Amino acid sequence: MIMMILFTVVTYLLYRISKMVYVKMSFPLFHPLLLTPILLIIVISIVHVPADGYLHATRLLTHLLGPATVAFAVPIYKNLPTVKKYLGTIAISITTGTLVAIFSTFGLSKLIHLKSDMITSILPRSITTPIAIEVSKEIGGMPTLTTVFVIITGVFGGIVGPMVIKSLSIKSPIARGLALGMAAHGVGTTKAMEYGKQEATFSSLGMIFAAWITLIWGALLIPSLMTLQHLF
Amino acid sequence: MKKAGVIILQVLFLHVFLILGAALKQIVPIPIPASMFGLVLLFLALCLKIVKLEWVEKGANWLLAELLLFFVPSAVGIINYKEIFSFLGAEIVILIGISTIVVMGLTGIIAEKTAVFKRREQH
Repeated sequence: MIMMILFTVVTYLLYRISKMVYVKMSFPLFHPLLLTPILLIIVISIVHVPADGYLHATRLLTHLLGPATVAFAVPIYKNLPTVKKYLGTIAISITTGTLVAIFSTFGLSKLIHLKSDMITSILPRSITTPIAIEVSKEIGGMPTLTTVFVIITGVFGGIVGPMVIKSLSIKSPIARGLALGMAAHGVGTTKAMEYGKQEATFSSLGMIFAAWITLIWGALLIPSLMTLQHLF
Repeated sequence: MKKAGVIILQVLFLHVFLILGAALKQIVPIPIPASMFGLVLLFLALCLKIVKLEWVEKGANWLLAELLLFFVPSAVGIINYKEIFSFLGAEIVILIGISTIVVMGLTGIIAEKTAVFKRREQH
């Protein structure tokens, strides 16, 4: 119990500090999702707590991903007229995005000769953690590893996002938001908040639609892809 | 302090939908996580005015604003996977990097083109 409170508080404080540092320095490698875990890994190695002990003590924080996913109903509801108006754009761009994410990840994984269980762990990497874990379990991946790939995707997407947006001169808040939400899920949405309200809304929408559509691919497309892979 | 209390109560209230989502998952035999069912249920409850926006808005906004915090413990879990800290790990990071850029670029371009088309249609 004491461990639980202690590690949750320490995690929260280090997260706050990392966020402050990131805002002040705005240096990509100081991203809170990189800096906080690095600081925490240092802390737990100093006090000799194994990673599993730490994970167990901070399960309240991980648990909050559940209600956080439910909470995404609120931005959809508040922006219902916008969703209806741009449903076509959202559907086309996110359906393409999810397919590109799956096929490019699959192709590149084959190129570097990843083992089958690594491929199934990495395929759902472009969607939000709680759903990625479910897809991973469904297709025979390792959920913890999937979580790590999802985080790498998010941090990387958050870092390169502004460069991609700038170099392709993507100007509309709709396209900026959808691109960030599709490619970098929750971390992309945090980045989208820096652009503005509309970008953040479309990023949340992109992320939610990406999760839904990937759930469908997880059931219909990925199993056949994994069966057919030996033909390549 | 009062604000924190409101947020905690609303986050607890959101669990009602998480539990209902888990119950629905038991009945409907499709591989969708409980939280996703919960999202749909809350959305429907808001649309049907069963739940007022004020009941959940502050809690939901807090959860979404602090989303990164909830990923932190899992990120620490990476030290359980020693094979990631190797050449293979570097290759995987490059793989993810390339794929992420392609996904983001294509999604953005397609959305930009279709959204502009949509705007022209209306004028």
